Amino acid sequence: MDETNAYIRIRGLRKVYQMGHTKVHALDGVDLDIPRGSFTVLMGPSGSGKSTLLYLLGGLDRPTSGKIQVGEQDLNSMDENALAVYRRRTLGFIFQQFNLVSSMNTLENISFPMRFNGSSSKARHQRAARLLEQLGMEKYTRHRPTEMSGGQQQRVAIARALVNDPPVILADEPTGNLDTATGFTVMQMLSDLHKEGRTVVVVTHDPRMARFATRMIYILDGRLVSKEDYDQAIATQE
Amino acid sequence: MRLLDLLGLIFYNLSRRKGRVALTAIGVVIGTAAVVILVSLGNGLQRSATSQLGGISDLTSIMVFPQYEEQMAGPGMSVSGPSTVKLLTESVIADITAIPHVTAVIPRDYLRTMSVINYARLEAWANVMGVGAQDVADLGYTVKEGVGTLERGTAVIGEPMLRNFMDPKMRPGQEPPEPPDLLDQQVKLVITKYTNDGQEVRKTVQLRIVGILKESRNEGDYSLIVNMNDMQGWNEWAIGKRINRAREGYEQVTVKVDSVDNVLAVADSITALGFQAYTPQSAVQGVSNFYIIIQVVFGGVGAVALLVAAIGIANTMAMAILERTREIGLMKAIGATNRDVLSIFLGEAAGIGFIGGLGGVGLGWLVGQAINAVALPYLASQAAQMGTPPPDAAVYTPLWLPVFAVVFATLIGLISGLYPALRAATLVPVVALKYE
Ligand SMILES: Nc1ncnc2c1ncn2[C@@H]1O[C@H](COP(=O)(O)OP(=O)(O)OP(=O)(O)O)[C@@H](O)[C@H]1O
Ligand SMILES: [Mg+2]
Repeated sequence: MDETNAYIRIRGLRKVYQMGHTKVHALDGVDLDIPRGSFTVLMGPSGSGKSTLLYLLGGLDRPTSGKIQVGEQDLNSMDENALAVYRRRTLGFIFQQFNLVSSMNTLENISFPMRFNGSSSKARHQRAARLLEQLGMEKYTRHRPTEMSGGQQQRVAIARALVNDPPVILADEPTGNLDTATGFTVMQMLSDLHKEGRTVVVVTHDPRMARFATRMIYILDGRLVSKEDYDQAIATQE
Repeated sequence: MRLLDLLGLIFYNLSRRKGRVALTAIGVVIGTAAVVILVSLGNGLQRSATSQLGGISDLTSIMVFPQYEEQMAGPGMSVSGPSTVKLLTESVIADITAIPHVTAVIPRDYLRTMSVINYARLEAWANVMGVGAQDVADLGYTVKEGVGTLERGTAVIGEPMLRNFMDPKMRPGQEPPEPPDLLDQQVKLVITKYTNDGQEVRKTVQLRIVGILKESRNEGDYSLIVNMNDMQGWNEWAIGKRINRAREGYEQVTVKVDSVDNVLAVADSITALGFQAYTPQSAVQGVSNFYIIIQVVFGGVGAVALLVAAIGIANTMAMAILERTREIGLMKAIGATNRDVLSIFLGEAAGIGFIGGLGGVGLGWLVGQAINAVALPYLASQAAQMGTPPPDAAVYTPLWLPVFAVVFATLIGLISGLYPALRAATLVPVVALKYE
């Protein structure tokens, strides 16, 4: 299994949370390969460990054990500083709650990541303006997050994820706070990013998102399972 | 993260919470203002105290006297031990002149018997002083009218001295006479001595007054200053024998030093030569030390106020970090390093300290001006009653103080922000992002 030439390789990944005297096995030995340029949808019920897997992949937390390799980079061997650089160069995050800074306008929110990589303010401005134009949101340049709809906010968040032109996009329930139609547009946008050649990993528990995926992964209680096992488990639950 | 981006972000973060920042900064403003006002007050007190001492005596001179007693003659030592008497002879004067920073060594002598000055029907008692210099200016005296040159047969007189002239035949109740204008007038100096058999002998000397000294609250005010050679002649007449300066030396010399800063060192060198040296500067030094202690104590009181402000900053920063936990998580997710986060929050805390420091310096300066406006007329009237020169400021802010105060307030902010900022920097991104 180790000799696959997958872009992202996850081996024996465990994450155990200590809740008082009980241990919660959020991830209980996950092995996963994600090819470069794929659109991977990670499906599972609430509490199954989807977000945990995505955040470990994003270097926002450390696993209890196991290994994550992205390209040539081994996340375990990185210190906090190297992880920050990894997130800055390799990843774009999209969250369910958008996580826009409420006091910043659209342009400032989109260019916020560039404040940490040494770009000039002119370069920041130009890049953010270009992305706004591509998303057809020039009208909202000066708007604050509270002055926009959820769908518009998520589009701004997607633009922010793209501002450093990362090869990997990680999205945690990007449509979770949106109505069906708006959620669909957002998925369409993510699909477009995949078509541009980016590796996209989307976490969701909405089965309708499957149509965009090149690859479906199912997770139950911290373990990856086959589609059959998953469907069966969901069916017995209901 | 570039420094400019960092500063820009810090400024942005402070400006979007103006109300909170202002409220927190008020504590710093008050603390800094307290430091500035109290230290300035201590400084002003010191300045007026030293300037009054300086007004009384010339700070750059040292009075040197011969050492007649045998030094180190402690109990048990023979009284007839080797003599260590030190006289102010010409060769000694040359030695003193050779000490670095000495600009002049001026011998002085006083009339060793009684004398009175007569002018027309008026007479006055005077301190008659002989000075071994070309001009009274060498001694630091200022001439108000005429000149200060000391030639044989001429004299310079202190202005307040003129008010001492009285009519000996004046009846009680009669108006005292106007002080005479003695400039370019001839006065008679009547010197009296007693022979061994009790006979009173008088000698009258004609002197032309060539200069009147400006009143300056020193010995010159009530002196008649004459040429050293005249003085020596009169003294020889008074004691009835010749004075050999090479053997006996002078009664007293005044040593002038180039700057106040060197006075104490020169005085020490003279003491080391075995003479008695007195300097008004040592008194001034004592006063200065006293006021430095006052300033430190006052500054300490202000610093306590700043410490209270520091707790306010720490509190505000801790609150800010709670409120912005998700934002911290986001910053990390989009590539901010722990150091970036630390710098941002430290910078904000230091920024509050800096703003408060600027405000405090401004407020302190304003209050200082107000105190000056109220207190100066009062101090001036007090000084006039005591006959000392009026102080130029009750509260005096030296230039270093505002700079120091702003730097100090900024540092206080930085230190207060240290713990909250460290906590922010070391937050696990996932935990921060999930924070509600
Ligand atoms: N910080 C934590 N401390 C303790 N337990 C945690 C923590 N974070 C997650 N868990 C537990 O780990 C398990 C997986 O959580 P995770 O957030 O990955 O689920 P999820 O699949 O994303 O669910 P959802 O669809 O509701 O977002 C859950 O049982 C959760 O309670
Ligand atoms: Mg989740």
